[in-house]
Amino acid sequence: MSTVVSTSTPSPVAKVSAKPDIGAIVKFVAVLIIALVVISPLFLLFVASLKPDRFQILADMGSFRAFWVSEPSLQNFTDIATFGGALPFGRYLVNSLIILFCTVLGGVFLNSMAAFVLAWGRLPGRAVVLTALIGLYIVPQESIVLPLLSLVNKAGLGDSFAAQILPWMASPLYIFLIYQFFIQVPRDIYDAATVDGASPFRIYWSVFLPLSLPVLATVAILLGIETWNQYLWPLMVTQTDYARPISVGIASFFGHDSVYWNSAMAASVMMMVPVLIFYLAFQKWFVSSFISSAVKG
Amino acid sequence: MSSQASPMPGSASPGPIRAAMPRRKPPIWGGRLQELGMLLPACILIALFLLLPFLSSFEIALTNQRLIPRPVPVRFVGLGNFQQILTDSAFWTALWNVTRFTVMVLPIQCGFALAIALLLNQKLPFRNFFRGLFFLPAITSMVVVCVIWSTLFQYPTGPFNQIVGFLSFGLVGPIDWLGDPNWAMPSIVLLSAWQAYGFQMIVYLAGLQNIPETLYEAAELDGANAWQRFWNVTMPSLRQTHIFVLIITTIQAFKLFTQVNILTQGGPRGTTDTLVHYMFTAGFVDQRLGLASAVAILLFLIVLVVSLVQRFVVRDRR
Repeated sequence: MSTVVSTSTPSPVAKVSAKPDIGAIVKFVAVLIIALVVISPLFLLFVASLKPDRFQILADMGSFRAFWVSEPSLQNFTDIATFGGALPFGRYLVNSLIILFCTVLGGVFLNSMAAFVLAWGRLPGRAVVLTALIGLYIVPQESIVLPLLSLVNKAGLGDSFAAQILPWMASPLYIFLIYQFFIQVPRDIYDAATVDGASPFRIYWSVFLPLSLPVLATVAILLGIETWNQYLWPLMVTQTDYARPISVGIASFFGHDSVYWNSAMAASVMMMVPVLIFYLAFQKWFVSSFISSAVKG
Repeated sequence: MSSQASPMPGSASPGPIRAAMPRRKPPIWGGRLQELGMLLPACILIALFLLLPFLSSFEIALTNQRLIPRPVPVRFVGLGNFQQILTDSAFWTALWNVTRFTVMVLPIQCGFALAIALLLNQKLPFRNFFRGLFFLPAITSMVVVCVIWSTLFQYPTGPFNQIVGFLSFGLVGPIDWLGDPNWAMPSIVLLSAWQAYGFQMIVYLAGLQNIPETLYEAAELDGANAWQRFWNVTMPSLRQTHIFVLIITTIQAFKLFTQVNILTQGGPRGTTDTLVHYMFTAGFVDQRLGLASAVAILLFLIVLVVSLVQRFVVRDRR
């Protein structure tokens, strides 16, 4: 409770150069401990994935041995990647990556193109389309998946990659996010491009896209996380391993009497690592992405 | 569609429809065709995969259609599905469960998020590092969270049972967290709050950073202590953030499915059955598409009402 310092140092500059503050150190250590406790389940996951004995994993969980692995082994990973019959996790991971890549690439492109026309096009009826999109944004995915499943099956798209990519590429939310960015672009920039007689696509491609990297990154990150973590839809639409993503693969460990914890842990790490790599590389963008999705409301 | 949807679009249009300067006109029709070509792909996808299933759910809900069609023709049943749902005690249990979940998860998740946000809003070395660390669960897939947490909940020797046993000197427990009807939902609440608090945390952080420093200085001059400053400056200034966070969390909570489907299958004894899980069971497991579509419509109506409440409250401020 040493926060009330008010007396001597009013300027923040002076505070920085002052003597090492005991209160600040205590606070730092406290935050560090809280952070470690809160994050410890993730740490436990990584440790457990290096233990090849599934009974050992459970036995260790109840003690401090859960935080330590004496003989780290990558056997769980080689097992699930090469396992002949049971659950082909290498395949699931590749499936997830294919779905992710196509959805994000297509999504960023299609949504931004539509947003450009809505913001700067001359097409009549743009306001109507925009209003319709905003209205549709409220519809939750959960309440359309069953009719959608019926439609997809009728169209012969069941158990396919297309069924997992096409429905979620275009999205009112992301069109609107990019739209809001585009309408803030100064009019002069658009005019300058039209004076040259550039076509709408040309203006979009060589003027607006390069300007809008921040919002495109936001959409890519949000759509990417959303796609990677999809569960309900692929659970229903995939019937075989052909296009099954890793989330559904991991879930299939459950529901038996004894869970292969070693494989489940390794598969979970496999699912987390791609996200972690991106997260470490683009942490700031991640956080600001989620904020901008929130501010929209 | 509905025109009340948002206050945004009217103000948004920059008005480029009037070609202001007719210097060298671009080929108007060629340009418009191209614009159509740019707008249509996204609109067609949304029409096919969002609008069409949404509209058809209203039609399906009035029939006895099956997920995999049977040779028998589909029959129109009017509001029979709704009648059946509303008289099914399992539906009311599911609705009650999801309400219970929401009421429990709101204070825990948002309270924890606000606490961490307050912690991170101070002068702290490596603040961005900590923010990144605390945000990690939010980008972790719920499936992965279920794997980790089901070992934490392990009966009888899992970490939670060890901690509870230790703190109570062995008097309490061991508890079968996910298997005991009294504990299954609280366990799901805890796990869900842990996975999702990161989002609320950064929203609160953004809100906290918008509070002008002068307010705190003024309060300090008036002799307010840290506690008073929190209740009289921080909390009132966060009003809009609170509303937003509560609404978003409520909508998310009502869609509860993944963790329940993986960890408890709605059990034990239906104590963790939720609306979406009920719909999933009716439509996918039991193949009763008509019935499930009726549940889907009810879910949509709930989300719609919550969203409208948000719009109403937020507009109130402007």
